[in-house]
Amino acid sequence: MNEAVAGAPPIELIGLNKWFGAFHVLKDIDLRVQEGERIVVCGPSGSGKSTMIRCINQLEHHQEGTIRIHGRSYGRDTRENDAIRREIGMVFQSFNLFPHLTVLENCTFALTWVRHMPKQEAEDLAMSFLARVRIPEQAAKYPLQLSGGQQQRVAIARALCVRPRIMLFDEPTSSLDPEMINEVLDTMVELAESGMTMVVVTHEMGFARKVADRVIFMDQGEIVEEAPPEAFFAAPRYDRTRLFLSQVL
Amino acid sequence: MDHAAGPAATPPPAEIFRPRPARRAPPSTLGVQGWIRQNMFSSVPNALVTVIGIWIVYAFFDALFGWAIGNAVWQAESRRECLDEVGRAGACWPGVIAWIPNLIYGLYPKDQVWRINLAGLVLLLWAVPLWLPRVQSKVQIGLSLVLLFPLFASYLFLGGEKGIVWSALIALGLAAFLWTLLTAATETVFGLGIARFAVAALGFASRSDETRRRLAIAVLLAVYVVAVILVQALSLPFVPTRVWGGLFLTLVISGIGIAFSLPAGIVLALGRRSRMPLISLLSTTFIELFRSVPLITILFMFNTMLPLFLPVGVEVNQLLRAIVAVCLFSAAYMAEVVRGGLQAIPRGQYEAASAMGLGFWQATGLVIMPQALKIMIPTIVGNFIGLFKDTTLVSIVGLFDLLSMSRAVGEDTRWLGLFLEPFFFVTMIYFVVCFGMSQYSLNLEQRLSAGERR
Ligand SMILES: Nc1ncnc2c1ncn2[C@@H]1O[C@H](COP(=O)(O)OP(=O)(O)OP(=O)(O)O)[C@@H](O)[C@H]1O
Ligand SMILES: [Mg+2]
Repeated sequence: MNEAVAGAPPIELIGLNKWFGAFHVLKDIDLRVQEGERIVVCGPSGSGKSTMIRCINQLEHHQEGTIRIHGRSYGRDTRENDAIRREIGMVFQSFNLFPHLTVLENCTFALTWVRHMPKQEAEDLAMSFLARVRIPEQAAKYPLQLSGGQQQRVAIARALCVRPRIMLFDEPTSSLDPEMINEVLDTMVELAESGMTMVVVTHEMGFARKVADRVIFMDQGEIVEEAPPEAFFAAPRYDRTRLFLSQVL
Repeated sequence: MDHAAGPAATPPPAEIFRPRPARRAPPSTLGVQGWIRQNMFSSVPNALVTVIGIWIVYAFFDALFGWAIGNAVWQAESRRECLDEVGRAGACWPGVIAWIPNLIYGLYPKDQVWRINLAGLVLLLWAVPLWLPRVQSKVQIGLSLVLLFPLFASYLFLGGEKGIVWSALIALGLAAFLWTLLTAATETVFGLGIARFAVAALGFASRSDETRRRLAIAVLLAVYVVAVILVQALSLPFVPTRVWGGLFLTLVISGIGIAFSLPAGIVLALGRRSRMPLISLLSTTFIELFRSVPLITILFMFNTMLPLFLPVGVEVNQLLRAIVAVCLFSAAYMAEVVRGGLQAIPRGQYEAASAMGLGFWQATGLVIMPQALKIMIPTIVGNFIGLFKDTTLVSIVGLFDLLSMSRAVGEDTRWLGLFLEPFFFVTMIYFVVCFGMSQYSLNLEQRLSAGERR
C-alpha cells in the first residue's frame, strides 16, 4: 500500500489538525504541492507556519488528517517514517549545523550514516555541493568559524547532499545580518531554478515575487489565502492579508 | 530584496571612506614586564599583597624542603635511629622505603606480585594504540579495553581454579588483547586491520566479499584459539581478595568505578529523560536515592545489610560488595553530570539529525552525546578525581586501600609511631594521580575544542 506512487504530488496535506496541549495550532490545513513547485509561506508570528512545515517532515506530530509524501503517508512504523523523511531536506532559522564536526563532515554526515556511502565518494559529493553554494574553500573549518550567511549556505549544502526531492526552509534568513541575507537568497534562487520542489517560510517578499509559484498566507493556524505572487501582492482578497502586507512591504 | 528608491534629488558625489591604520599598544602594557607591572604592582596595596604572598610561599616551601629533604634521614633500621639522629626536624624515610612494596601491593604474596605488574603492562599496551594517530579501530579497541580487560585482569589477580565458562571468558579477554596488538601494528604499517591484512597477505584480496568475510572471521577465530591455548597453559595459584591492598586495591576499585560509572551514567541520564514514564521514574528514583546518601552509608549498607537479604549460604565477597557500592554511587553522580551536558545541547541539533533521517539512537550517539560529553569533560574528570579519592572510604569496611596501608606503617613495631612520613608519601601519590588526571582533562579539552571557537 505505502509505496511511492508515480505521479503523486510531492506533498499533500489533507485536513491537517494539530494541537499543542489544548491549544489548536493548525486548523484543517489542506495543501497540495506539485512537482517542482515553489511555495512561499508567510504570516504573522505564531500563526503556525513553522509548525506546518515541521509536520511535513514529522518534526512535529499531527493529531488529525493525512500527510502524503509522494503518495506515502506517515504511520506508526518509525523506520518507514524515517525512510519517507529522507526524501525531504530541511534548512532551519538557526542553521543547526553540528559544531563538533567540520563543514565537510557536516555534509558527509548523512551520506555516511544514513546512506552508508564510502568515505571518498561521500566527500567528493559533499565538495560538489559546497562548490555549488560557493564555499568549497571553507570545507576544513568548523561551523562556528564561519559567518552566519556562510553557515546557512553550508546548511543548504548539507541538506542537498542526500539528494532530497523536497526542500523545506523555515525562515532561513531571519537570523542573518542584512549584508548576508542576499548571499543565502541567491543560493535559494539558484536552487529554485534547478527545479527543486520547495516550501519556504519567509518574510522576504522580494524572494516570493521572484521565485514563488504560489504564496500562502497563514493566520491563527489557518491558511487564509493562497495565490500566485502577482495576484497575492496586487489584490489580496482578505483584509487580514492586506494588513499583514502593509506591515511587511 | 528590492527596496524602492526614494524621490530622486541627486545626492552629492560619494566621499571615499579610508579606515585609519591600527596603532601599537602602549609599551607599558606589553611583554613580561608590562604584565608584571599591570597585574602585580599596579598599586600600593597590590604590591603589598604580592610581596606578602611571595614571602608566605617561600617560607612554606623552605620549611617543607628542610623537613622532607634537607634534614631527612635516608638510612636507618628503625624509627629510634632516626629520632636519635635528627629528632623531629627531619623526615624518617627508611620506614616508608621498607614499606613501599606493601603500600603498593598490600599483602599480596611477594612471589606473585609479577601478576599485578603484568596486568599493568597489558593495560598500558592495550591503551597505547588509542593515542596512535594511524590506528583506525580506536572505538573497537576502547570498547574491548573497557569490557574485556577486567575479565583478563581479574584472573591474573585472583588466579585459582577456572571452570570451562570462566576459561572461555578469560581467553576472550586475552584474544581481544592480542587482536588489539596485531591490529594496531598492521594498521600502523599497512593501514589495514589484522583480519583484512591477513586476508590480503594470504592472497585472497581479489576474491568475493563473502569469501573474504569468512576468511576474516577465520583469522579472528585463530586468534581466539591461540588465546584459549595460552590460557590453558597458564595456571595461577589462588590469591584471596583479603590480602589485596595498597595502591593496587585503590586502583582496582577506582578503575572499575570509573570504567563503569560513565557508561552507566549515560544510560541513567538517557533513562531519566526518556518519554516512557516507567523508565524515567526508575532512573530518577535510582539517581536521587544514591545521590542523597553519603558513600559511607552505602558502603555500610552493602557490607552489613546485603548479607541479611541474600539467601543463607550465598556469600558475596567483601571487596565485590565495596566495588558494587562505589559503582552505583558514582553512576548516580555521573548520570546527573551527563544530563547537565545533554540539557546544554539545543533541541535544534536533535531536530537537524532527525530531519536527515537519523533515528533516536543514531542522533543521540553521533550528534548529541559527543557534544554533551565534550562540554562536560571538566566535570566528568572532576568526578573521576572525586571517585579516586573517595575510595579511601573503603577502609571503613575493612579493606586495606592505599591510605589505610599507610597507617599500618606506624603500627609496625620497628617503625612505631611513624605516621607522618607514610602519610606524606601517600599524599604525594594521590596528588600525582589526581593532578595528572586534571591536567590531562585540560589538555583534552583544548585539543577537542581547537578550531571550534571563533
Ligand atoms: N512545542 C510547543 N509547545 C507548545 N506550543 C507551541 C510549541 N511550538 C509552538 N507553539 C505555539 O504554537 C503557535 C504556532 O507556532 P509556530 O512556531 O508554528 O509559529 P510561526 O508561525 O512559525 O511563528 P514565527 O513567525 O514566530 O516563527 C505559537 O503560538 C506557539 O507559541
Ligand atoms: Mg516559525
